Amino acid sequence: MVVQVESTGDTSGRPLADAEVHRRLVYGDESALAEVYAAYGGLVRRVAVRVTRSPGGAEDVAQEVFAQLWSRPYAFDPERGTLRTWLSVLAHRRAVDWVRSEARHRKDAGADDSALQAIPDAGPGPDETVVDRERSLLLHTALAELPQSQREVVHLAYFAGRTYRQAAVELGIPEGTAKTRLRTALRSLAETLADPPDPALERGA
Amino acid sequence: MTDDHEAVRDLLAAWAFGALAPADEKTVAAHLAGCESCAAEAARLRETVRLLDGPPPAGIPERPATDVLSRALRERPAVPRLAAHAAPYAAAVAGLKALLPEVYGRWGYDRWRAPVVHDWDVHATVAHLLAADEHLAVLLGIEARVPPSRIQEGTGWEADWNRRTADVIVHERRRSPEKTVAAWSAQADSLLASPEAHDAELAARAVTLMGLRLPVADHFLVRAFETWIHTDDIGRALGLSVPAPPRDHLWQLVRLAVRVLGLALGPTAPPVLFSVTGGEEWVLGSDAEPVQAELTLDPVDFCLLVGGRYAPEAVPKGETGDAAAVRNVLERAASLSWL
Repeated sequence: MVVQVESTGDTSGRPLADAEVHRRLVYGDESALAEVYAAYGGLVRRVAVRVTRSPGGAEDVAQEVFAQLWSRPYAFDPERGTLRTWLSVLAHRRAVDWVRSEARHRKDAGADDSALQAIPDAGPGPDETVVDRERSLLLHTALAELPQSQREVVHLAYFAGRTYRQAAVELGIPEGTAKTRLRTALRSLAETLADPPDPALERGA
Repeated sequence: MTDDHEAVRDLLAAWAFGALAPADEKTVAAHLAGCESCAAEAARLRETVRLLDGPPPAGIPERPATDVLSRALRERPAVPRLAAHAAPYAAAVAGLKALLPEVYGRWGYDRWRAPVVHDWDVHATVAHLLAADEHLAVLLGIEARVPPSRIQEGTGWEADWNRRTADVIVHERRRSPEKTVAAWSAQADSLLASPEAHDAELAARAVTLMGLRLPVADHFLVRAFETWIHTDDIGRALGLSVPAPPRDHLWQLVRLAVRVLGLALGPTAPPVLFSVTGGEEWVLGSDAEPVQAELTLDPVDFCLLVGGRYAPEAVPKGETGDAAAVRNVLERAASLSWL
């Protein structure tokens, strides 16, 4: 026997936005994907174009990133980080891969297959020397390989335009830690330039 | 050198990235003017950022969302639009399909044999869902995908139900997990493509399944319920936390479970005012006596209790009044033995 007494209405608190978006993605609600794109499509393209220097490359990367979020929603875990950071890191990784694969496509048969030896047509622009473009790709490759904890704070401070204090809040870490991670990260990037890794050794590692 | 020197040195990377607050900005600028070693470090770091930047991008053309969304929807289709009673099942099926690729670990091994619940691994749990969905599928005229079981007469629905699951698991064990997933998925898609999933009037017809005579619409909710609970089981086995169904769907499940619990308690049980956090209240049990106790449960916890995933004494609850009346409700809820 059941007698409904009354409806007490919605008194539940609003869940964290990322967790709610993740729920909707998991359960196949495509309007959640459109909302995520509206919120972070700009960031993803900005990151991608920084690395690829190519609007077409940025488009490829954006499509890949949002397709991955939609088709593998469990790759993102809202308990372990924000969607903004996750998308930014993924876009960067995919953009570095895009440049490498462009380079492979363009290289002449028999030439050195290092991505850095074969500059895609998209880069260097009139304002950039070939050497600078090579160094830039080297840096982005190194950035993509930084430890996750350092990469996240670099993404927030650099690509997403946060101050280190805002980044600390978003990551839930002390300000001093955010500062230290930025410093460790940027110094190791600067050292990459001073002492570029041998591409052949890197592949063997 | 002063503490200021150390403090500024720590800030130089943030400065080079342009990630300082205006107040910090001033401190750094003042120090750099007078400290050669910091100025050299600052120049080195800023040059690194300049190279990362490259020349200013020519401007990124604003693209409409359609290209990005259509590419994504090619890889994973959107959930079909259905009548309200079938939407939770459609979402639950999408949720399990989204989880199953995670069975494959990052380093090339798979976890189909990971223990899930009862004595089932992931493969057997999907096989169980194939068997459990089949009862509704057959009623809706969808052909079974596994050869029929020999059901003995007069053994009751639970024995038949368990027998069918056992047979289907044995059958599926001889196939690859991917084939089992394909069979489950195709059968679920057939259920979702059925006229009864699109038309509330057609789904109003009452049929008996799992010992319950309910409208087909409610049996669709039972399928959603079971699919979600087992998806949650598989998620735990894989170390992934499966989100609870969207709010509207969750409440459809809660209301159905309350109705079934009311039937199970019968008209003479000591009455308990039952509320589910964030929503509704019901009086369960006899309506001829004053309420003897109050019980409050979270909607997800209530579903997990009814789904057999909480022992009656372990479920987090709020209660006042007659403890025996509350215990009666909790024990009855846990014994619905749906899943």
